[in-house]
Amino acid sequence: MFALSKRLTDAFSLRFARAVRETYREDEAYASTPLGRLALYAFLLLLLLLPLLLGPYPMYVATLVAIGALSALGLHLLVGGAGQISLGHAAFMGVGAYAASHLTGPLAPLGILLGAGSPPFWGFSSASPPSASRGCTWPSPPWPSSSWRTMSSRPGRRSRGNPGPDPSSPEVLGLVLDTPEKLWYLVLLFALPLFFYGKRLLMTRAGRAFRAVRDNDLSARVAGVDLTRTKLLAFALSAFYAGVAGGLLAGLYKAVTPEYFPLSVSIQYLAMVIVGGAGTVLGAVLGAFFVLLIPEVLNSFVGALGPEYAAQLAAWRNVVFGGLILLFLVLEPLGLVGLWGRVRDYFRTWPLPY
Amino acid sequence: MGAILEAKDLHLAFKGVKALTGVSFQVQPGEFFAVIGPNGAGKTTLLNVLSGVYEPERGEVFFLGQSLRGKSPQERARMGLGRTFQGLEIFRGMSVLENVKLGAELALPTYPLALPRAEREWRLRAWAEEVLDYLHLSPFRHAPAGMLPYGLQKRVEVARALAGRPKLLLLDEPMAGLSLEEKQDLARFLLDAREEWGVTLLWVEHDLRAVLELSDRVLVLSYGEVLYYGPPEGVRQDPKVAEAYLGQA
Repeated sequence: MFALSKRLTDAFSLRFARAVRETYREDEAYASTPLGRLALYAFLLLLLLLPLLLGPYPMYVATLVAIGALSALGLHLLVGGAGQISLGHAAFMGVGAYAASHLTGPLAPLGILLGAGSPPFWGFSSASPPSASRGCTWPSPPWPSSSWRTMSSRPGRRSRGNPGPDPSSPEVLGLVLDTPEKLWYLVLLFALPLFFYGKRLLMTRAGRAFRAVRDNDLSARVAGVDLTRTKLLAFALSAFYAGVAGGLLAGLYKAVTPEYFPLSVSIQYLAMVIVGGAGTVLGAVLGAFFVLLIPEVLNSFVGALGPEYAAQLAAWRNVVFGGLILLFLVLEPLGLVGLWGRVRDYFRTWPLPY
Repeated sequence: MGAILEAKDLHLAFKGVKALTGVSFQVQPGEFFAVIGPNGAGKTTLLNVLSGVYEPERGEVFFLGQSLRGKSPQERARMGLGRTFQGLEIFRGMSVLENVKLGAELALPTYPLALPRAEREWRLRAWAEEVLDYLHLSPFRHAPAGMLPYGLQKRVEVARALAGRPKLLLLDEPMAGLSLEEKQDLARFLLDAREEWGVTLLWVEHDLRAVLELSDRVLVLSYGEVLYYGPPEGVRQDPKVAEAYLGQA
């Protein structure tokens, strides 16, 4: 038993040993070690082959998680990156979904892209005028305002005889993406480039400016960072990501109504950011996994207990979210990413404590 | 060549408290210029006026012959006016390397779009590494800046400012809270930076010995007024300075 545990620990220790990097280029590249590259390729392959491995319902959940991770990444750029808070994330997803639903059929991907362009503009139009010292502030959550109600697409309410756009199944190159498996590839088509873009963005000029604004706005100004520009860029990017995610969700839900994008969804995304570990791409993925899989786990739990508990499920879910956010803020502000880092550091220096 | 920085008759008051009254001075290129004075003399206020955090009520600041009126801190930074702060104002959540890279962005011109983004990034990295090496910070490049000991954090701030290749660097009490050894190191770095990169230095400092040993010229402020302006040798002899520091003539 001891021998086994020792061997396992040794293996971990070797796996996490800090790779020696000899050039700056190696140091800046991600997945610079052979093992890291292998893991990256294996993960990408797994993503591509996922529809072969999972049934329809798990596939639906996987698509939901992927879209959620994409949207969460947008909020990560804003909350974890630039240190701004936004409760309007669900609204931006809704705007993206609504706009995208007007251009379906073969042009669906274009529709999603164009749709994603609209939330930033909507945000700009309602952002407060920039001030020199603090930059600007983003609109507060728009739910109570009537503008959200009128902007949202509510079939049958918009005008007589026009039940609103119907986001029918998107179609790419003559291939109708009517099954969850095919929609999955549409999601990947958007999510993968946007993830790599987000990762790169956080590592370079704009990302540094974001974090400078987050950490110390006075010092950022003196270091030549334009506060207003940087904050607006962060808000616009986050809204763009939300818009893409919203457009993809429209394809998944096959309908766009305001009920899909209530305030609680914004809270859910904030929970993803905090639980995952603010400001990192990995955090977006882990957070989305965690937060979106909780209802599924709860479902099976409650299902085992009996149907009379199922009615209370929604309430319990909010309790769990609230508890999770509290626990993570108090115990592990760096989120799941911080936990992972601690595990890694433990093995890296094993058997020494530091 | 004329003065790199010229302050003309600066006035600033906060709710009636006069922070600066008629402060004028010139800083020559390549100079090590010190501003000293008792607590509340307006030294930090003066730096804030120079770097654009405050706008003076009267008077004007000229940098490289250009008026700085109405220019924001980031515009002044891009003109080559660097600044460090009295308290630690580094980006605590970013690594040391990222801190320095952010500063280094100022050293690379923004406009040539012909330069591919990646190439820009490599040049930034190379220059940032040079600065890190220079300030003996290379071993800590990936450490979060906020986790470093105080003395190193101070040095990170100087590195951040120096990486932008400022023509004039305003330092607000860079030696406060440092040990004697760290002070000596920092003095060496600053003198070398002046020598090698042609940075003109203007510093506010409480350590009188260091100021009098290192500086070329000294400006003594008290309650917003200039008490003394000249070479360091004359500071100790000046009766007004002695009065301000000791309370009597």
